[in-house]
Amino acid sequence: MRSKTLVPYMFVAPAVILFSIFMAYPIIYSFILSFQSGQGSNMEFTGLDNFARLFSDDIFITALKNTFILLIIQVPIMIFLALIIANLLNSALLKFKGVFRVSFFLPAVTSLVAYSIIFSIMLMNDGVVNQFITAIGLDSIPWLSDPFWAKASLIIAMTWRWVGYNMVIFLAGLQNIPEELYEAASMDGASKIRQFFSITIPNLKPVILFTVILSTIGTLQLFDEPFVLTKGGPSDATLTIGMYLYQTGFRFFDFGYASTIAYVIVILIAIMTFIQFKVTGDQE
Amino acid sequence: MKKWWSATGLVAASAMMLAGCSGTDGGNGSSGDGEGGKTTLTAWAWNVNVGALNDAMEMYQEENPDVEIQVEDLGRLDVYDKLSTGLAAGGVGLPDIVLVEDDRIGGYATAFPDGFVNLSDMGFDDNADLFPSFKQELAQVDGSYYAMPFDAGPGGMFYRRGLFEQAGVNADEIETWDDFLEAGKKIKEETGAFAMPLDKFKDDPTFRMMLNQLGTYYFDENGNIDLTSDEAVMAMEKLIEFEEAELIKEVDGWNGVVSATVDNSVAAIPFGAWYYGTIIDQAADSSGDWGVFLLPAFEEGGNRASNLGGSSWMIPAGGENEEAAYEFLEYFSTTPEVQLVAMQDYGLFPSLNSTYEEELFTSEDEFFGGQKIWELFANQMADVETPYYTEDYAIGLDEAIKAQADAFNGMDPAEALKAAAERLAERTDREINN
Repeated sequence: MRSKTLVPYMFVAPAVILFSIFMAYPIIYSFILSFQSGQGSNMEFTGLDNFARLFSDDIFITALKNTFILLIIQVPIMIFLALIIANLLNSALLKFKGVFRVSFFLPAVTSLVAYSIIFSIMLMNDGVVNQFITAIGLDSIPWLSDPFWAKASLIIAMTWRWVGYNMVIFLAGLQNIPEELYEAASMDGASKIRQFFSITIPNLKPVILFTVILSTIGTLQLFDEPFVLTKGGPSDATLTIGMYLYQTGFRFFDFGYASTIAYVIVILIAIMTFIQFKVTGDQE
Repeated sequence: MKKWWSATGLVAASAMMLAGCSGTDGGNGSSGDGEGGKTTLTAWAWNVNVGALNDAMEMYQEENPDVEIQVEDLGRLDVYDKLSTGLAAGGVGLPDIVLVEDDRIGGYATAFPDGFVNLSDMGFDDNADLFPSFKQELAQVDGSYYAMPFDAGPGGMFYRRGLFEQAGVNADEIETWDDFLEAGKKIKEETGAFAMPLDKFKDDPTFRMMLNQLGTYYFDENGNIDLTSDEAVMAMEKLIEFEEAELIKEVDGWNGVVSATVDNSVAAIPFGAWYYGTIIDQAADSSGDWGVFLLPAFEEGGNRASNLGGSSWMIPAGGENEEAAYEFLEYFSTTPEVQLVAMQDYGLFPSLNSTYEEELFTSEDEFFGGQKIWELFANQMADVETPYYTEDYAIGLDEAIKAQADAFNGMDPAEALKAAAERLAERTDREINN
């Protein structure tokens, strides 16, 4: 009898222990840290000072703005592209579906750092992209050195990396829409485009909500791409909250303030997700 | 109740297993004295420094057979990440010896006051005079030594003889930055090569060398922000003059500089003496095509001595082998033969003054067209001004790079520097000069 009751604990023990050491402990400790300030080991309790400091910290506000600009522009573009591609690849008329699906999904398996490095090489001043642009007679574009184009580069790179990933989720969602709906719509004379907006999108709504939330979380934590492509520059034009968090902790040694930023990201994600649930409003 | 106990016991047992896994690489201060009373020192270093450390230990063992060293070859930034994390965790999992660049010594020693052994307490002050004054100052925090000086990076312009000759420019006649600007224009016209490479928006080594040459830096000796000084503005304006003449090749990071070095697309590279190793390694087929001249002065007869980079050894506190580590490092730092090996085999330019009397420093270098480049580098060491990095150097660097980026994107250099200085003041609670 006793050994039987023990068995379940044995099975959950490794997961619980690993979780406590690598998740629960850091979560609690960084919460405590977020009320402290100082460099390295000279930490002292400062109460809510760190949170007050955030509001007067121009760099944090810049990072926040950058992150939201990326979020507001990149996520809709990416979701829309993924929806269209998923629809095309789901079409009964298309041959070699497997090949297309794999090639669109492939970017999603590349490592974040590796693809960022490739993009940084292609987007260099005398890189492939600019060579092509000048070859067709246009002026070369300062992709990574102009505040505007640096953000554009990030958006292009992230879209390339994540469209396929979202596309696969949409493809799965599309399989659950009954064929009869489309047949009936065709009989009533609805065009393909009308069907896309009136049948596909409403039916995919929960799936779209899911991908939007995932992308929002991903963008709020954005780190690898700006770190490799632009180092947050020129002059903080592509500094994201995630990068500022890293810099504060590991380059400027202010682990307390870095923890505060981490908690602000968590709060932001919670708020954004809540709003998205409200806006898309599940009626039930 | 019993159930509860067995569950807790299980958790404890598994926790011990986990702890066992991580315990093997010997928490703080290495594996200590192993079998037969041998002391094994552990060290973290990167790149060519690893070889230098191992070779030095072999020489040391002739007198001290019971000491050995185990060097972990980590990436430069990995060393810092591991060191920061270890120190922040209260000194866990650190080695006996760690290599730290000079610009980070002050930061570490101030942020973690109990994290490193105070070398003055162990008698290092007696050796201080063996090193040039700027190296001495960099190794101290509040009057105590926390680091043992190792290599330095006396500055120079590494140039392509072929490109200079093709354009009819004589490197010996370049004395000021304006001379170099004129020479650069000629070279660009004749050969299409740029005057120098720079990662305009992500790094500012040339600006830093210029600041050092002019006797200033991001901060002055009192720790005040000096980015708005006349000298700093002059340096940034000079860079922009080169930019406006389209003489600066934009490159992407370190690799970009190296490929510009190799593919003959830049005529000169302003860097520290340590760049010698990279040139002979990466551009091996261009032997004889290279030369070096000192950084041009800002005005006729002005200072041409400068330094970029260099590193020193630190001893994390609390290890079992502090004494042994100190003795070995003292041998390493103050023995000319060791420094000579580091220089000859690994291209690490020594800061130990007595090394400069060795024959190598008056010899001609074939790769550099028979020029006595080491003499050139060594002779400027005594004139190098101390760069005051302070513990806020990382933030200073961050803001200086932004100022440079703004200036290259069209902002007036003086205004870009002023804005950077103000942000820096806000972030560090320091005063701005003038």
